[in-house]
Amino acid sequence: MSVKQDKLTFKKDLFSNNASKLPKFENHDKQTQKNTTCYMCACRCGIKVTLENNKIRYIQGEPTHPVNKGVLCAKGNAGIMKQISPARLRQPMMRKPGAERGTSEFVPISWDDALDMLTERLSKIRETDPKKLAFFTGRDQMQALTGLWAQQFGTINWAAHGGFCSVNMAAAGLYTTGFSFWEFGDPDWEKTKYFMLWGVAEDHASNPIKMGLNRLKERGGKFVAVNPVRTGYQAIADEWIPIKPGTDAMLALSLIHVLLKNELFDWEFLVRYTNAHYLVVDTPRKKGDGLFIRNEKGVPQSWDLEKDCLVNATDPKIKPALLGNFKSPEGTPVKTAFTIMTERYMSDEYSPENASKVCGVPAKQIEKIALELAHVAFKESIEVETEWTDWTGRKHDKFIGRPVSMHAMRGISAHSNGFQACRAIHFLQVLLGSVDCPGGHLAKPPYPKHVAPPIKPGKKVVPGQPLESFPLGFPTEPEDLAIDDDGNPLRIDKAYSWEAPIANHGLMHMAITNAVAGDPYEIDTMIFFMANMAWNSTMNTTKMRENLCAKNADGEYKIPFLVVCDAFDSETVGYADLVIPDTTYLERYDTISILDRPISEPHAVCDSIRAPILEPDRDVRPWQTVLVELASRLKFPAFTKENGDRKFKDYKDFIINFEKAPGIGFLAGWRGENGENSLKGKPNPNQWEKYIENKCFFEYKLADHHKYFRGANKDYLEFAKKSGFNASSDPIIIELYSEKLQKFKLAGMGLYDGPQPKKERDQFRLSRFFDPIPEYYIPLEHRCTFSKAFPFYAITQRPMFMYHSWDSQNAWLRQLQAHNYMHMNKEKGEELGIEDLSWVWVESNTGKIKVQVKLMEGCQSDTLWTWNAIGKQKGKWGLSDDANESTKGFLMNHLINEHLPCADTGSPVTNSDPITGQAAWYDLKVNVYPAGPDEQFGVYPNFEAASKLPGSPETNDILRYNTKKPVRLSRSIIDILTKGGFEK
Amino acid sequence: MRLGLVVDLDKCVGCNACAIACKQWNTSGTSGSLTDYRPYGPDPSGVFFNRIRHYETGTYPENKTVHFPMSCMHCEEAACVTVCPTGASYKREEDGIVLVDPEKCMGCNYCAWACPYGARELDREEGIMKKCTLCVDRIYDENLPKEERKPACVMTCPTTARYFGDFDDPNSEVSLASKKREGQELFPELGYKPVNQYLSPRKKVETKQHETKEPSLVKQVKDWVNQVVEL
Amino acid sequence: MHPAFSVIFFTVTSGAGYGLIALLGLFQFLHFGIFLDKNTFFISALIAFLLFTMGLISSTFHLANPKNAWRAFMRFRTSWLAREGLLAILFYPFLFLYLYLTYIDYQIANFILMQTYSFAIFIFAIVIIYCTGMIYACLKTIPQWNTLWTPVNYISIGVFLGSLIFFFILDFFNYEVDPYKFYLLLAIAFAFFMKLIYYFRIREPRHNIGQATNAAIKLKDTNVRLLDVGHTGSTFLTDEFGYKVASRKLLKIKLFAIISGFFIPFLLVYIHSFIYENLIFCLTAIFLAFIGMVAERWLFFAQAKHVVNLYHGSQNV
Ligand SMILES: Nc1nc2c(c(=O)[nH]1)N[C@H]1C(S)=C(S)[C@@H](COP(=O)(O)OP(=O)(O)OC[C@H]3O[C@@H](n4cnc5c(=O)[nH]c(N)nc54)[C@H](O)[C@@H]3O)O[C@H]1N2
Ligand SMILES: Nc1nc2c(c(=O)[nH]1)N[C@H]1C(S)=C(S)[C@@H](COP(=O)(O)OP(=O)(O)OC[C@H]3O[C@@H](n4cnc5c(=O)[nH]c(N)nc54)[C@H](O)[C@@H]3O)O[C@H]1N2
Ligand code: SF4
Ligand code: SF4
Ligand code: SF4
Ligand code: SF4
Ligand code: SF4
Ligand SMILES: [Mo]
Repeated sequence: MSVKQDKLTFKKDLFSNNASKLPKFENHDKQTQKNTTCYMCACRCGIKVTLENNKIRYIQGEPTHPVNKGVLCAKGNAGIMKQISPARLRQPMMRKPGAERGTSEFVPISWDDALDMLTERLSKIRETDPKKLAFFTGRDQMQALTGLWAQQFGTINWAAHGGFCSVNMAAAGLYTTGFSFWEFGDPDWEKTKYFMLWGVAEDHASNPIKMGLNRLKERGGKFVAVNPVRTGYQAIADEWIPIKPGTDAMLALSLIHVLLKNELFDWEFLVRYTNAHYLVVDTPRKKGDGLFIRNEKGVPQSWDLEKDCLVNATDPKIKPALLGNFKSPEGTPVKTAFTIMTERYMSDEYSPENASKVCGVPAKQIEKIALELAHVAFKESIEVETEWTDWTGRKHDKFIGRPVSMHAMRGISAHSNGFQACRAIHFLQVLLGSVDCPGGHLAKPPYPKHVAPPIKPGKKVVPGQPLESFPLGFPTEPEDLAIDDDGNPLRIDKAYSWEAPIANHGLMHMAITNAVAGDPYEIDTMIFFMANMAWNSTMNTTKMRENLCAKNADGEYKIPFLVVCDAFDSETVGYADLVIPDTTYLERYDTISILDRPISEPHAVCDSIRAPILEPDRDVRPWQTVLVELASRLKFPAFTKENGDRKFKDYKDFIINFEKAPGIGFLAGWRGENGENSLKGKPNPNQWEKYIENKCFFEYKLADHHKYFRGANKDYLEFAKKSGFNASSDPIIIELYSEKLQKFKLAGMGLYDGPQPKKERDQFRLSRFFDPIPEYYIPLEHRCTFSKAFPFYAITQRPMFMYHSWDSQNAWLRQLQAHNYMHMNKEKGEELGIEDLSWVWVESNTGKIKVQVKLMEGCQSDTLWTWNAIGKQKGKWGLSDDANESTKGFLMNHLINEHLPCADTGSPVTNSDPITGQAAWYDLKVNVYPAGPDEQFGVYPNFEAASKLPGSPETNDILRYNTKKPVRLSRSIIDILTKGGFEK
Repeated sequence: MRLGLVVDLDKCVGCNACAIACKQWNTSGTSGSLTDYRPYGPDPSGVFFNRIRHYETGTYPENKTVHFPMSCMHCEEAACVTVCPTGASYKREEDGIVLVDPEKCMGCNYCAWACPYGARELDREEGIMKKCTLCVDRIYDENLPKEERKPACVMTCPTTARYFGDFDDPNSEVSLASKKREGQELFPELGYKPVNQYLSPRKKVETKQHETKEPSLVKQVKDWVNQVVEL
Repeated sequence: MHPAFSVIFFTVTSGAGYGLIALLGLFQFLHFGIFLDKNTFFISALIAFLLFTMGLISSTFHLANPKNAWRAFMRFRTSWLAREGLLAILFYPFLFLYLYLTYIDYQIANFILMQTYSFAIFIFAIVIIYCTGMIYACLKTIPQWNTLWTPVNYISIGVFLGSLIFFFILDFFNYEVDPYKFYLLLAIAFAFFMKLIYYFRIREPRHNIGQATNAAIKLKDTNVRLLDVGHTGSTFLTDEFGYKVASRKLLKIKLFAIISGFFIPFLLVYIHSFIYENLIFCLTAIFLAFIGMVAERWLFFAQAKHVVNLYHGSQNV
């Protein structure tokens, strides 16, 4: 007996018909709209902000913007809550006299005093030993400015977050194809038919990936996801490959194994666009082994199949052998680079059967994926009918596309074998010929650049003078390292030392440790801009927090002066001696420059600006303005006229008038006195206004014949040179075989004429890991961690709706997630007697944490994972002391060490990729076991609640954001009384 | 007209953009504010019209994760309307949108009890029942550009997993999408005839495999003959 | 479902009140061998009036916006809640007129017209309890309630409580209650068995997560499991519908409801005539029956599972 709903059916007459008389809900006359660029993350979408009564009514995606084309992510949509966050800093502050560092006890000071204090201190450093200033910046987007500032200051101790973020991806690409994943390339979403996503939860291309997946799906393309965890993007993948963390190189190379075994690769592509046919000297354990054989002018050689002799490998019209062993006229045994590759990759080591043991991916599946890739690349190739000319002058009537594309990020990069793993993925793309072709992996201008970009890291520090070169660059041989005559590191983070020779982005994660240890030397002042180094962006957080407070015997802090520029009350702010309060992204001018990471699209050169939407209601200033002010006060040459006067009034003025090279400035749009030039041209005094008129971005669309094969596309190469992207219009040759790496390897083996490492440890690392062609090796931490004691891999993922530590202050976003769980495979958990939602200890070589566990199916059996940076210190981020972020939320970082746990390395060595210095966050191995019955609730470790900042607002238990009194919906009484009735 | 949404579960990556866009638009819209409780304290909570749940099916490694956004389905047999004693809840004749007149609601929760989809949330601070309005304050606003007269959640969805339109019009985007992909309603057993349709995850795309040369595994480099390719 | 005390109190007391007034009407119509004097009649009516009025007032306590409570009867055309409200309102003048007529001349109670009026009071009051029951029974979203047993339970319990109070009143005014005792025992037993049937019926869950999602997820032969509700804190939905009690506690409360609500009152009424100071017995029986029925009503809510829980992690409801 069950009751039918109400015994009523919904008759048409029940509908309300007076409702069409809708009121006028929005009074647009009282609203204004302004454009700017989102900064809820580094994806840099265009936004249109509607204001009403001086408050934000609505933030929406700008439909014409090249990056997001009108869409916004959850963060972008939550900008209002960032703008009203109680955690916003309100004024400059100094550590309270007598208060200890880290207690968050501050007194407000005026901007004048703050700037005077800084100027005095910095000018002393600059005049004596500029490298005593260490300036590190986190997830910012203004490295062109901060880098220039550091260079002008004269310190080599500058870097941004790249070293702990994804330098492996940048470097692997820039040392292979001249562009890369990360922010330098994109899949051809318009045309690709088969897409492989390697180790990505969210990425910098946050909205673009989502939009791209839509395009792929609309086209019926296949989506394969390689990831130990099945959430987010992986959820909608056609095929999910739950790989064991740290083994992707093996998987990629095994796919290559299958391709090679079946002779499935793009022969023409390899010969024309790569160095696979270059001849490599084959004299094992002798000097010169593994280097290209070169003629007297230094030009590498190939074997011409018709002439049967050595020829210049880069001469047009040669017909080089891709395979084979030959002898030089002098009798030196040589073989083609490709021969070396086939020998390695066709060996059993990379067979699917063996790979399966390493990666946990069935051999059959590896074989299947490889053959699918080949099918799409070669049997479903596409053509774009456009005439173009290659660098040899040969005309083509079409671009041939191999519509296979890939994208990879931190799942690959955050391992100590990530550089080689990423290179392996590029190899896969190259073999399939799917690089910068229709449907493949496309470069974003100003990329591709020559391999490697011709900038060498700055080394020489001269008091009172700028560095002769940018602090960061691209070493190509041991001579480029930043080491002294004894081989000791010159930089505080030991980038470009034997420990991390091609650390193109520095090693920010080592800066505090090294500075505190005085290794290689002591510093005076450390500036952190937009980096939460006392919390989520550091390894070994507990210790790092102690480090920041460490004192010498004389009671002086080991890092004597710490300046933190932040916009919010972060954990790191608590450690500052001087706090410089920044504006929010809606309150300032900003440039997203092509001198930096571009926002370009594959077929358009783009940059953008931010323009203020709201006036700050606090005593805060944009860091940009502060930097220009300091640069002027410190009389940096680039900021000072010959007569000693300051050159730029303010930041806006600087952006307009600063030229890096004649005609080239921070902004590429509307250059020339009247805005008539694009990309290059004289400064335009009205440039900002032009940008604002054009919704705050500039887009220069590439001509059709410039769109593909840009490394070998004559017209494009000339265009790129003219526009200042590249110094020359020579072809950009894909370096499958890296002679550059080989030189470092030889140095490690003692076979190099030039600097060579003295420490046995460094010799081992160079000779073992600097392989000129990628190989799979076990991640460093795994090598020295007893796997019985720590049987699980432990990794993190970014939640799509939170940006690192920024968003717990966001009242809307934290409702989605105020605390995190440690996830693990359900069957595995049950096997270990771990119950869903119970508390467990997770232990590593470095420490242990107590966390709540959640069991799930979509997790590789040997893997634990959690959402990144949800846990917070009590009392920070404008949150109450009992907020879930500090009672239940946790950081994985406590378990990760900045040094390798290996005993055999002599002195401590960084837990990073041995080639690039990329922080190896995801090499972590742990053990997990249930917490005792009396330990059931609450996270460990716990930190004391931070003091409230002076002037921080009281928050209410109820938040009712609104820009106006709402215009309500209404239904008439007549309607209510007359509509509908009992069942007829 | 029968206005409603189509949600494509094959494209939804669970990013929550739609949920927050909805919150953002509506907190200053006709149903505003959407109150938040303990915004900076323990157990933060608040009124949302659109929530994303996440499910798993199958067992490892043959498992699948499905992100599942849910908002008001603007049901044809909207029991939330029939049960409402005050008449505050109503369904519009011209387009089927189910709305609440806040001046008449007494906050009894009864309509929320009657809704199987969790689409109604009481704003405790105001004492008023609130729900998805299908952005009635956007879609009919003639002062907005035409392409913006869409629900906030639809406009913002980065994967285009959400479509908005008139199911009575066989040529509307929603009708076409629903027809092509066999749109499904949630919980049809209950008989609410929800207007919103869900597109199920696709069957795996199967790509052909390149044929292999027999016997592929014995083939060695030395068997290869250099192809002549001019640089 | 979250058991709100105001709603529990409302349904129990107003049920008892309407049950009592219904009985009164029925007695005036059928007499059952007992002829009430005027005082007894009016005191009974007053008690009934107080009970259902208190219940109705308490029902507004759970409104988030009580200033609109007066609108509650507007949609009587479709809403059982409105119907209940409307009938409850209309009942007052109907009852007042009845009481007035009876008051001016108690003798007319025996006239056929007045007898019909009494019977109408009986029907009216029962219909109101029926409406209260239907408020819950009409919800397809709560399968435990979505049954005719729900209004049957409401009516039978209302009548049982009403009868018990009536029994006490009769006893208090020294009526010969033994002829009535049988009917009371019958009412208790009936209410109990109706409740048993209800409990039996709700043992098996009616819906599962597969039903709620599978049509859309459409992955054949797979089990669907919640991975993440999408928010770590509570929400209106989890507060309102996510109420959970341990099954041990449920069982305890259920035993308590049955023993205190049905068994002991039954026993006390049964042995009533063998005891000397039986008024205390009667009061105890009423007290226990009320507590028992409050527990029963609490269970009614606590055991009811809204289908939205399927989306929040219950595998079935
Ligand atoms: N919403 C949001 N967006 C962001 C950020 C944010 O905090 N929030 N941060 C920005 C920043 S700074 C960065 S660097 C990017 C990073 O963006 P992502 O590269 O997406 O970074 P993660 O979230 O670390 O995701 C790494 C993924 O790799 C997987 N993984 C881990 N180890 C392995 C492995 O060995 N092999 C494979 N195949 N997969 C593995 C993890 O499960 C996870 O899914 O995102 C940027 N965008
Ligand atoms: N366990 C683990 N740890 C990781 C990672 C991981 O995947 N797992 N990822 C690593 C990676 S890739 C990265 S990039 C780092 C990120 O590391 P960080 O860049 O250090 O992290 P954020 O949390 O983004 O912190 C940046 C700081 O910038 C501040 N901020 C925000 N907006 C502004 C502004 O407008 N102006 C100023 N001046 N400050 C602002 C914030 O308040 C915050 O304090 O984390 C790393 N840490
Ligand atoms: S992805 Fe989201 S947060 Fe990042 S810039 Fe775009 S809209 Fe803003
Ligand atoms: S915005 Fe789109 S992809 Fe993101 S959760 Fe909503 S429906 Fe899914
Ligand atoms: S989804 Fe719920 S609130 Fe919306 S119309 Fe259907 S029953 Fe009513
Ligand atoms: S809460 Fe408001 S809208 Fe819902 S049933 Fe009650 S009066 Fe109607
Ligand atoms: S249609 Fe509007 S109100 Fe409804 S869920 Fe989407 S954004 Fe929210
Ligand atoms: Mo990063």
